[in-house]
Amino acid sequence: AITSVKCFEIENALETLGDLGPFNPGLPVEVPVWLAINLKQRQKCRLIPPEWMEVEKLEEIRDQERKEDTFTPMPSPYYMELTKLLLNYASDNIPKADEIRTLVKDTWDTRIAKLRLSADSFVRQQEAHAKLDNLTLMEINTTGTFLTQALDHMYKLRTNLQPGESAHSQDF
Amino acid sequence: MPSTQKPMRYGHTEGHTDVCFDDTGSCIVTCGSDGDVRIWENLDDDDPKSINVGEKAYSCALKNGRLITAVLNNTVQIHTFPEGAPDGILTRFTMNANHVIFNSDGTKIAAGSSDFMIKVVEVTDSSKQKTFRGHDAPVLSLSFDPRDVYLASASCDGSIRVWKIADQTCTTSWPLLQKCNDVINAKSICRLGWQPGNGKLLAIPVDKVVKLYRRETWDSQFDLSDTFITQTLNVVAWSPCGQYLAAGSVDGSIVVWNVENQECIERMKHEKNYSVCGLAWHPKYRQIAYTDTEGNLGLLENIGNGKKPNDKVASTVTKDYNDLFDGEDDDYLDGDMIEPQSSPKAGDNEDDADDLMPTSGHLRRAIIDDDDNSLDIGMIKANSSLLEKEDDDDDQTGGFPALPPSSTQQPFYDGPMPTPKQKPFQSGSTPAHLMHRFMVWNSVGIVRCYNDEQDNAIDVEFHDTSIHHATHLPNSLNHMMADLSTEAILLACESTEELASKLHCIHFSSWDANKEWTVDMPKDEDIEAICLGQGWAACATSALLVRVFTVGGVQKEIFSLPGPVVSMAGHGEQLVIIYHRGTGFDGDQCLGVQLMELGKKKKQILHGDPLSLTKKSYLVWVGFSAEGTPCYVDSEGIVRMLNRGLGNTWIPVCNTREHCKGKSDHYWVVGIHENPQQLRCIPCKGARFPPTLPRPAVAILPFKLPYCQVTTEKGQMEEQYWRSVVFHNHVDYLSKNGYELDENAKSQLVKEQQELLMKLFALSCKLEREFRCMELADLMTQNVVNLAIKYASRSRRLNLAQRLSEMAVEKASELATAPDDEEEEEDFRKHLNAGYSNSATEWSRLPVRNVQQDQEMENAEETDAYEEVEETPEVHKQRPNPFCKGVTSAEVTTPKSVVIVSSSQGRVNPFKVSSNKKDPVVPSANVLDTMSKHSKKTSLSSSRAVNKQNPPVIKPLIPKPKSKQALAASFFQARTPNSSAKTVEEREEKAGNESHEVKVTAQENTENKRPQTGFQMWLEENRANILTDNPDLNEAEIIKEGMSRFRMLSSEERVVWTEKAKGGTVNDLAEDKKRKRPTADEDEVKKNQEQKSEDSNVSKKPKPLDQSTNVRLSAFAFKQS
Repeated sequence: AITSVKCFEIENALETLGDLGPFNPGLPVEVPVWLAINLKQRQKCRLIPPEWMEVEKLEEIRDQERKEDTFTPMPSPYYMELTKLLLNYASDNIPKADEIRTLVKDTWDTRIAKLRLSADSFVRQQEAHAKLDNLTLMEINTTGTFLTQALDHMYKLRTNLQPGESAHSQDF
Repeated sequence: MPSTQKPMRYGHTEGHTDVCFDDTGSCIVTCGSDGDVRIWENLDDDDPKSINVGEKAYSCALKNGRLITAVLNNTVQIHTFPEGAPDGILTRFTMNANHVIFNSDGTKIAAGSSDFMIKVVEVTDSSKQKTFRGHDAPVLSLSFDPRDVYLASASCDGSIRVWKIADQTCTTSWPLLQKCNDVINAKSICRLGWQPGNGKLLAIPVDKVVKLYRRETWDSQFDLSDTFITQTLNVVAWSPCGQYLAAGSVDGSIVVWNVENQECIERMKHEKNYSVCGLAWHPKYRQIAYTDTEGNLGLLENIGNGKKPNDKVASTVTKDYNDLFDGEDDDYLDGDMIEPQSSPKAGDNEDDADDLMPTSGHLRRAIIDDDDNSLDIGMIKANSSLLEKEDDDDDQTGGFPALPPSSTQQPFYDGPMPTPKQKPFQSGSTPAHLMHRFMVWNSVGIVRCYNDEQDNAIDVEFHDTSIHHATHLPNSLNHMMADLSTEAILLACESTEELASKLHCIHFSSWDANKEWTVDMPKDEDIEAICLGQGWAACATSALLVRVFTVGGVQKEIFSLPGPVVSMAGHGEQLVIIYHRGTGFDGDQCLGVQLMELGKKKKQILHGDPLSLTKKSYLVWVGFSAEGTPCYVDSEGIVRMLNRGLGNTWIPVCNTREHCKGKSDHYWVVGIHENPQQLRCIPCKGARFPPTLPRPAVAILPFKLPYCQVTTEKGQMEEQYWRSVVFHNHVDYLSKNGYELDENAKSQLVKEQQELLMKLFALSCKLEREFRCMELADLMTQNVVNLAIKYASRSRRLNLAQRLSEMAVEKASELATAPDDEEEEEDFRKHLNAGYSNSATEWSRLPVRNVQQDQEMENAEETDAYEEVEETPEVHKQRPNPFCKGVTSAEVTTPKSVVIVSSSQGRVNPFKVSSNKKDPVVPSANVLDTMSKHSKKTSLSSSRAVNKQNPPVIKPLIPKPKSKQALAASFFQARTPNSSAKTVEEREEKAGNESHEVKVTAQENTENKRPQTGFQMWLEENRANILTDNPDLNEAEIIKEGMSRFRMLSSEERVVWTEKAKGGTVNDLAEDKKRKRPTADEDEVKKNQEQKSEDSNVSKKPKPLDQSTNVRLSAFAFKQS
């Protein structure tokens, strides 16, 4: 006999399920995202978006991101995932959902572009180390596998090239 | 009477224009960007005379038959007037001049140019020029001092400068404007002006206000502003008499003030909202000609009221000019009372307009007689100071844009000022003037009201949709008030011209088909506040009546209120009404509160007592906690709650403003819960109430009593203790009124309080505050006092311990008289009832009896030794019962302390002073007594799961007395037992399930084989080992052997075992004894065992605290502290 639990606050982390509740009608409760979305889909609750998910804050973040060459810290390590989930399932509880979607996408694009650029310069300048702060897991994963493999390949090519060159020079 | 505004007419092509009257006022002269100067006979002149002065004219001025213009070719020219023949060029700049003016006698002109320069030229001799350099940007506007001493200028560099004409130096400068690089970019052309006549004041339009600066001192005298002005002001113009000041803004509004009393006398809006760039007063009549940036000319006539007082004004002005503004009593009211078109306070302020009516000072103002300068000065003063105060008041309560008091009015004490009475309101509603607003937000749900063009509707939404689904109602009657309960929605509207005020109830929980009813109020009676309780609805009306209805619509009680209602709230049977007891002064409200019970027994609990409010605040919320305690919140954010434990006084329980981040942030209270202690409210940024969209989220604030020094441990615990006590009051109230309530929660509360007391006690002990210890002990229940005694003796405060035990005994003997009468049924029942109605006494008395009984038992047992115990096995069944408490409360947080408590009962004797010799049967009855009570608790707690599903506390009027009686009956049955076994059986018969519970517990006790002490547990584990080592040992020897082995264990290991033993659920006295019975003959073993088993309070001989008890006690003490 579930009476409707009206309100949930999203814990902005996909963390382990701990103690939940007590569920009071009308009172916000922090629950894991999966549960919130589940309840939302069953129309048992309303979601309260995390604090950073509002147009002004995101605009600020986007502008900051565009202004700086390095990565700026994101409001949540799962900002992209949360935005996707919340906007897909609970866009009616989020004011200006479309704008938020655009803003987060903009931020994401900026960051990915930066990531590509830095990867490019990394390879070009043949650096051995690079420090990338404030990257979220998802961003790392978009490029991680490709980059490491690419570097592997390049390393192989280079090491193969080296003897050839020396052999060539010996000819002279 | 409003001024007449004639329709505007086309004057020039679009672009900047300027306007002036000729000296006699017979014609209007305009110039515009088409380079023409037009001379209009009047506004209806269809054929104005045009003079072409250049490609583009920026500014013109006219005096003594000379027309000067500033034109595009960077020159300032003279034309004759009205002929319009060119009369030469006065001066040139490197850029065009922006403003040209004549001085008062027309001998000089001043021109300010875009090349940053200002020139003053004699009209007759253009070679006599003075140049003023200093501005860093194009000069916008100029103004000649009427006395020809100074010249004021405004420039795009953001500064306003005042120059001394004689030596061309800059006298003063104010950075008032926004900087810009060119005239066309300037927000305002800032046409400033000296007051005609003596030039006492310089008026400068700065943003939305006109700043007035005083001559010579150059300090800001006052500002003129008006809510009507929403955009930057462009121009100001003084009336020739110097009394009025007109200002035009870039959005086309023109406002006229009377400068003396800073009252706005005229507000006008340009029909097309074009920017006003030229403004000129008619030299004689109350007319203003104005032009806009689109080249149109307009005329305002009859400024002020319809009269044309100019002549009179002029005369008075000349008479009074010299001392006009020098700070004295120059309230010369020039004859006509200039009635503001609308009061300045009409400016609606979202924040407070709904709460505080503007002061109605107009009435008093009106008593000032017309045209009588010799009016009683005192009266004028009083009046002016009244006005002033009024403004102040407005400022402070709401934010009507500042009208600083003019220094022309001397401070004058007028006695305390009455505060406007706050309007009636519904708790949890947002102001009625909003288009989208909350009509109510309470613990049941939310009622929203939409009132815009396309829709007038009410949305009802329930927090718990199992009560009712959300509904959408049309609001054709224009309901303004609403309340919501789990049974019904109550709506009310005010009367209109045709319709009476209506109360409309949607009783959705009704089981018949008719779910709605409405009631019309009598004629001229408006509903001002409504509320819903359980089974009833009530409304308070403007006729000072409270009408009570059943929820089905039957009219019930009706009674008069002592004053106009402010708000009311209902909960269960209770109705709280707040009304105006009288007039408050100096910002305070004077409210009274009535609290009634409308149940079977109707009574009034608060008889119109004064309501305590924070200074200068008003009421913003009134209601009940979920448990039914009246609470209210004032505008300063203080939440107060009725303290039933202290003679129905009000105690502040929370200051919501403490939790606000910003100064203008507020919390909007929606509900209060006492258990758990929650203040539910909505944080509002920069407002007092939340908007309906986006949907606000509820936050929870903790309560905090304003005790002193809460940063210290002591203050903190004191605050906690008293908060717990205050929030415990509802339990007593509810039980007194026959509500079902969770005994478990109650005992938990008591436990919590006692724990806090013990902590405080320990703290005071540490600080060597023994007297304070005694005071604290006075608040403790007997059990805890025993614990305190133990703690004191442990910490070697024997003096304290002695005193404590004396107090304990004193308390005990004080109360002993009551138990003496227990034989009498009546009395006992009363006592029992008392115990229920007042838990404190119950709790303090009960243990007293225990102690007493313990002492008696000791007496008996000291003589009878153990024989009694061993000979009557039934007793064993019974004996453990006191420790049922231990068992039952094991699920309560601190089983340990309970165990200690039980053992401490045996420990009283060291300090025993006296004991009442009594029939030994009585103690056993008392034991049963406690047992049954506790077992009842168990039954309750066992049915807790069921309870949990019910709403926490309120379950009204379940026939509880019955169970009480059964309980009582069982006591009496138990009082004269021949054999205890029989008693148990009888109890079972009489008391039904309760005694069943008892039996179960008893059985559990007897069957409980679990060892209880660390040693016993250890022994249980290691018995096999011992037996394999020494197979021929008998039980006693095994124990002996075990004892010695256990002693050889390291202390850590022993602690582990002790901990294990504690961790187990436990009691086991019976089992303890059972174990003993077989070995009863071996005294020595028993002694050993007793030494080791901390909890075997069977140990009858007064012994010093043994080792393990000490360990545990100190553990307790440490934890506590």
